[in-house]
Amino acid sequence: MRIFQNVNINFLAKRKIFYMVSSSLILLGIISFIIRGLEFGIDFQGGTEIGLSFQKPVDISEVRNQINSIGLGQVEVKTFGGSKGVLVRTELQVIPKNLFPKIESNIKSSINSILPNIEFMTIEKTENSVTFKFQNADTAKVISEKLLENGYQTTYTNDEQFGKNVVVRVGISDWIKENIKGKFSDNSFIVLKEEQVGPKIGEELKSDAAIAIILAIISIMIYMTFRFKFIFSIGAGLALFHDVLITLGLFSLLYGVLDYLNLEISINVVAAFLTLIGFSINDTVIVFDRIRENMKIHKTASIEFNINHAINQTLPRTVITSLTVWSVTVILFFLGGDVLRGFAFTLFIGIIVGTYSSIYVASAIIYDYSLKTKKIIEF
Amino acid sequence: MKEFRFKLILILAFIGLNLYLLYPTYQDYVNTEEIKQEISTISKKVKVNNPTISELDLNQQLSYKEDSIRVSNPSYKNASEKRVKLGLDLQGGMYLVLEVNTGKLLEKLVQQPDNTIKQILAEAEAIAKVTDEDLVSLVAQKLQEKQIRLSRYFGNVRESDNEIIAKLKAQEEDAVKRATEIIENRVNQYGVSEPNIQPQGARRIIVELPGISKEEEAKRLLQGRALLQFSLVKDPEFTVKIMNAIDQHLAQLTGGNDSTTAKQDTSKKLSEDEFRKQHPFFAVAIINPQSPVADAFVKEQNVALLKNYFARPDVQAMIPDNVQFVFSAKPTITETNEKVYRMYLVNKNPELTGEVIVDAQANIDPQTTSPIVSMQMNSEGGLEWARITGANVNKRIAVILDGVVYTAPNVMGKITGGRSQIEGSENLEEAKLLEIVLKAGALPAPIDIIEERTVGPSLGQDSIYQGVMSSVVSFVLVGLFMLFYYRTGGSVAGLSIFLTLLFIMGILAGFHATLTLPGIAGIILTIGMAVDANVIIYERMREELASGKTLKSAISAGFTNSYSAIIDSNITTFITGAILYQFGSGPVQGFALTLMIGIVITLFSAFVLSRVVLDIMVAKGMKINLG
Repeated sequence: MRIFQNVNINFLAKRKIFYMVSSSLILLGIISFIIRGLEFGIDFQGGTEIGLSFQKPVDISEVRNQINSIGLGQVEVKTFGGSKGVLVRTELQVIPKNLFPKIESNIKSSINSILPNIEFMTIEKTENSVTFKFQNADTAKVISEKLLENGYQTTYTNDEQFGKNVVVRVGISDWIKENIKGKFSDNSFIVLKEEQVGPKIGEELKSDAAIAIILAIISIMIYMTFRFKFIFSIGAGLALFHDVLITLGLFSLLYGVLDYLNLEISINVVAAFLTLIGFSINDTVIVFDRIRENMKIHKTASIEFNINHAINQTLPRTVITSLTVWSVTVILFFLGGDVLRGFAFTLFIGIIVGTYSSIYVASAIIYDYSLKTKKIIEF
Repeated sequence: MKEFRFKLILILAFIGLNLYLLYPTYQDYVNTEEIKQEISTISKKVKVNNPTISELDLNQQLSYKEDSIRVSNPSYKNASEKRVKLGLDLQGGMYLVLEVNTGKLLEKLVQQPDNTIKQILAEAEAIAKVTDEDLVSLVAQKLQEKQIRLSRYFGNVRESDNEIIAKLKAQEEDAVKRATEIIENRVNQYGVSEPNIQPQGARRIIVELPGISKEEEAKRLLQGRALLQFSLVKDPEFTVKIMNAIDQHLAQLTGGNDSTTAKQDTSKKLSEDEFRKQHPFFAVAIINPQSPVADAFVKEQNVALLKNYFARPDVQAMIPDNVQFVFSAKPTITETNEKVYRMYLVNKNPELTGEVIVDAQANIDPQTTSPIVSMQMNSEGGLEWARITGANVNKRIAVILDGVVYTAPNVMGKITGGRSQIEGSENLEEAKLLEIVLKAGALPAPIDIIEERTVGPSLGQDSIYQGVMSSVVSFVLVGLFMLFYYRTGGSVAGLSIFLTLLFIMGILAGFHATLTLPGIAGIILTIGMAVDANVIIYERMREELASGKTLKSAISAGFTNSYSAIIDSNITTFITGAILYQFGSGPVQGFALTLMIGIVITLFSAFVLSRVVLDIMVAKGMKINLG
């Protein structure tokens, strides 16, 4: 079986229409950036995030209502990999001061319910922990273990220097878990993941990611200049910016629209964008390679003929490769799990845009350049 | 056929190499299943014997047991060291980024602190909190802005600003080294299997703890202040007496001969097995009867076993309350390449703690050319030190950091003035380590946690399953399509893509690289790149065939003419991978690495492997249908 064999489409003739299409897509993306912005994941934003998996399907709005009433302000609640999973995120790093006494008294009553009528006192409080001192080491050990079983994060010390103390962590995630546990006592959960990222890391990652993407594009352009001509590298570079901008625009337009589709910018998504760049340039290079070859063979032919001919010649490969890789991203999208879904989506869009831009951005720009400057490109 | 022999041998050798590299991964999988079963039977036994045991105690016992099983058989260890490692996102665990708070250190180094410097420090710390700028530079810059010379607060008057900055930076670097050493020490003691500790940038340390469930404990462990102690090592007679008692007690429990006959036998006559039975303790804690000291030598695989013994209440009852057994921090390597730890019996209450140390310095003694570490104590500590050393001449004092012994030098005489020298380091490196340890209590720089991620084991399991599932489905679908579309060529392509996968995994194992979730994504994308290379080649062959060439020359031309396109496109993708590797962090680097390996392998599979197979088919006159 063969597809698109010996086709002869005049791709360049319709380029002006597609310039319009591309520009309006990019414009739409930019407008969306300005109005809606992007949704950054915890990697970039900093904050606390926990992923829970319930035993039975859970009503997400119920969880949302419960969590929004526990004094942490606006907390984001989403589904996480199916109807049993819940992802909770807040920008906060530490428990707000006004909640602290309440949490401390909760821990105290837990201790009292484990071993009633024992004596202990609070000896130290930091922004994320409380330390209790007990009468003897055995009590401290039992309390520490029981509290751990009850879902608190504890550790105990028993030595000359630090005494018989139990340290209990007081964190955002503990408070959230405690409250969900109370509300959904008939539906227990396990913690899938817990993350806490400081604001410094987030800022650094943002600039690192931007640097990585821009550097990647520049390095590719330098390589293209050596292997082809300068104008080819301009065409390829513009095509890459085009692809990144359109895909990013879609991220901005679509986030929060579907519960199933988690479109926040995470480290994995940045990796996906870089892969998108890789694939898109791959596609462009293959078309360029044919243009270069044709220019060498048909030195007298018009540039329009050479470019069109190259695109037509590589069309079977373009369609087959893009469809196969595209189908891999579809598989990844549906089977790869929640963590890889954003990654798969980026490539899913990226491959379509990247294939298209090889023809209507990268190649078309070379043609318009030679029309305008009336220069003959020779290899 | 002759012409292909060399290439064929090369390819087969490469396949063999990769199978060899992947074998430990398979072996480790089998081993882990075995150990899991063993542990679950032990767990049942323990529960039957001791129904009231708490979950934590049980888990601790089991983890000791698991450790000793794992180290007891070298082949287990070998396999697990050489297998493809899984990232924390796949196997679950805790990932922490720690930052050494050098602000506190600078505060301590300020001479004659006043409000100006306090304010400057506070401002600099606030900036350092949100950027990665170096604190020393920030402070220096702020002082220079106010036209204050650094010597007003740091160093001495004769030094220029630049000299002082260089010195402070060295101090800062030192603090990070100390923190890393302390953390490594604690993590190793905590008994996490395969922890990963690595410095990042100037002030940060990344700690990866697979399979941690008690986050808070782990965090405390990493953040707590280092505890440096000087403890008196007990006399040999005293130590041997306790060891004897434990040994006999254990022998009775395990059904070895009763103590009286065991005593009468001279150990030399006993075979190794019998000795092990009659002296379960001395079989693992080996003491040298000729030596003037009673330090026991313990092989690495037996450390967990001994700790397990000491944790038992019946054994604990035999050790006096005021003493404890401690192990050396680092093992010595024997001639037979075994790691051996020393075990000491020391006083529980330290004679002195590390806060009294003002400075420590590793040097080469100009007279003996052997490495020495000099240590300076403050006046209070010096007085105390003089009393301690005076009372314990010819006894040994162990330097213990967070519970493990770094050295236990002999006291030569009373040391007055607080200045001591410690000899006996094997080399300057060891002396440097001791210097770091001695300073640990003196100049503490607190450690802040700036990033913390915990992945539960079940999420990891799901991720592995989903990742493998998508890889298999992608591979099967792509393979079927290629077969359908390019017929004979497609089957060669399928083979080449399959071997590409094998090679990537083999090389990952060979490099001791870690496979993460983005890494799996990278592999899936490599399938895409491999498909592309094959499609380009076969499409080209079809074109060449259509232009009237013979099959043989069409195949040859197909490869040659698609060469430039494939090389160029793969190099550009490789550039992206390299940049990602350079600028990405942990998991993303895993992705970049698999992508880069994948690209190189793809080129090999497409241009060497596929080509040889097709050439051989042509040479043998087989029918090749390109669809």
